[in-house]
Amino acid sequence: MPWDLNNDRPIYLQLMERIQHDIISGVYQPGDKLPSVRDLAVEAAVNPNTMQKALSELERCGLVHSQRTSGRFITDDTEKLRRMKSELASEHIFSFLDQMRNLGFSDTETLEMIQQTLDKKEGTNNETDS
Amino acid sequence: MLGKLVKYDLKASGKLFLLIHIIYLLTCLMVRFFYVNQLDFEAPAVPLFTSIVIASALMLFIITAVCICTWLQITFRFYRNLFGKEGYLTWTLPASSTEHLWAKLLSGYLLSAANTVIIAIGILILVTGENVTAFYAQFAPTFTAELGVPLTTYALWLFLYSLAGGICSVIWIYFCITAGQLFPGHRVLCAIAVYFIFGFVIQALSFLILFLSGYFPGYNHMASQGITAAAYLTGTLLISTVLIVIITVLQYAAMHYIMKRQINLL
Amino acid sequence: MKPILECSRLTKKYGDFFALSDLSLTLERGQIIGLLGPNGSGKTTLIKLANGLLTPTDGHILINGMTPCPKTKQIVSYLPDCSFINEHMRVQDILSYYTDFFSNFSTERASAMLDALEIDRRSRLSSLSKGTKEKVQLALVMSRDADLYILDEPIGGVDPAARDFILKTILTNYREDAAVLISTHLIADIENVLDRVLFLRNGQLALNATVDDIRTEYGKSVDALFREVFKC
Repeated sequence: MPWDLNNDRPIYLQLMERIQHDIISGVYQPGDKLPSVRDLAVEAAVNPNTMQKALSELERCGLVHSQRTSGRFITDDTEKLRRMKSELASEHIFSFLDQMRNLGFSDTETLEMIQQTLDKKEGTNNETDS
Repeated sequence: MLGKLVKYDLKASGKLFLLIHIIYLLTCLMVRFFYVNQLDFEAPAVPLFTSIVIASALMLFIITAVCICTWLQITFRFYRNLFGKEGYLTWTLPASSTEHLWAKLLSGYLLSAANTVIIAIGILILVTGENVTAFYAQFAPTFTAELGVPLTTYALWLFLYSLAGGICSVIWIYFCITAGQLFPGHRVLCAIAVYFIFGFVIQALSFLILFLSGYFPGYNHMASQGITAAAYLTGTLLISTVLIVIITVLQYAAMHYIMKRQINLL
Repeated sequence: MKPILECSRLTKKYGDFFALSDLSLTLERGQIIGLLGPNGSGKTTLIKLANGLLTPTDGHILINGMTPCPKTKQIVSYLPDCSFINEHMRVQDILSYYTDFFSNFSTERASAMLDALEIDRRSRLSSLSKGTKEKVQLALVMSRDADLYILDEPIGGVDPAARDFILKTILTNYREDAAVLISTHLIADIENVLDRVLFLRNGQLALNATVDDIRTEYGKSVDALFREVFKC
């Protein structure tokens, strides 16, 4: 199944984001070996050179490191992964808040709405539980 | 490389070729045993000769059909493999255009020669019955006197001549198809046109040469000057052989040039 | 190392019509290149010239530093956009044909691909469906360890599943120091696998850039840019 890539941004950036996401969300565990460039490229249905570029960029960020003979590995620096995870989370929160502000909600209103939604969800969950 | 190309050409045509020629040989065997061997040359002349004429016409028809099939096979293999869609693979094999041309000449000639040999074997099967040879023996001296050589020797020469002439026929057909490629859009039509135009030109040319060299108009005229049939035949044969060899060489050169420079597949 | 393909002032004329005019271009190894352009822009002419199926009217084309000849044909693996194999042949005969003629043909790789397609070796090509036939042809072409793969419209008119198979076959099999030249007019489908694109217009080079450069510079996909450049 080729990866879902959109059309207007450089492909290597999208590949980086996708792999980064897979690492942070735990599809790849810390210390895991990554598939070869060719295999990843085939899986994503993209050009191997582009995949290579994405992985090199990730290497520069310190998310993966290569060992000369045995391939590329995910970093086992769990502290760093946790930090990246929370960075990514706050990015999502900020962009969400931006959209809500665009719709005309203040941050407090947004927070209230979130709380309500969660309560309601809790309620329905309890109902199905009992 | 040449060997491999020839191998696949023969592989492509081999099965059908063998089938047709085995059927031909079986037909000859059957005619020999069920018809020729039953002939009684002491029988009344009229019904005997009528039946021989019909049988000969029939065999001539079969032989012509077998030859046409062989030539169609040679023609189609050349056209499809070099100028049809298959040409995209053929011309991108690691072989030169000269190798392709020679492979087709060799494979085409091998089929043509095999055809000539098998046709000859079939004819031998038909006419070597004891009753036929005994009957012919009565007239043999007359024939030998007219031809200058015994009929068997003459037939042998004829056979060798057709065997050698095969190469000219192959080149001629290949040349027509190749020349047809110069006219995109009407390749096949132009190949046929080239065939007839060249045929006509060669006819006219040989006519002219025969006329100029005094071999025309015909044997009757020469007989009055005391020239034997044998000498007449040898004379015309010699002239047309020279003519054909020259034309074949020119056709080969033209074909070689077109294949090297002017091919554009559809 | 010499560039795998080099054209300089390459011109091909048919009568008064210039199929290619004054085209200069260099392609390096290790990349997948898209050859794009509307019908009649000279894509097929360029491909035929690279394969030695045509001779240039003017200028020259070099493959690995040589004009097309049996030596270059040995290192170029070419997929024409038509059915180019004798339909009466059986699959096993075609395999031995390729093994006989191309020293860089890997029978094991071809066999593995044919097995994956569940193709009976004894079946004649004419008995296979059109889609399967195309896959067999691609498998043969990609089973050669070539220096340059030239694929003319490999994804023209196939369904999405077949397209994925074709792209996967190309990506899995080409050698890393080889170049792959893919001609197509369905850019969106293969854009992601390309390093570089060449736009041809009226026999001339209209654009030669990497896909990521195009996206960074124009902020749009190659497909969108193509539609803009060749707007009617």
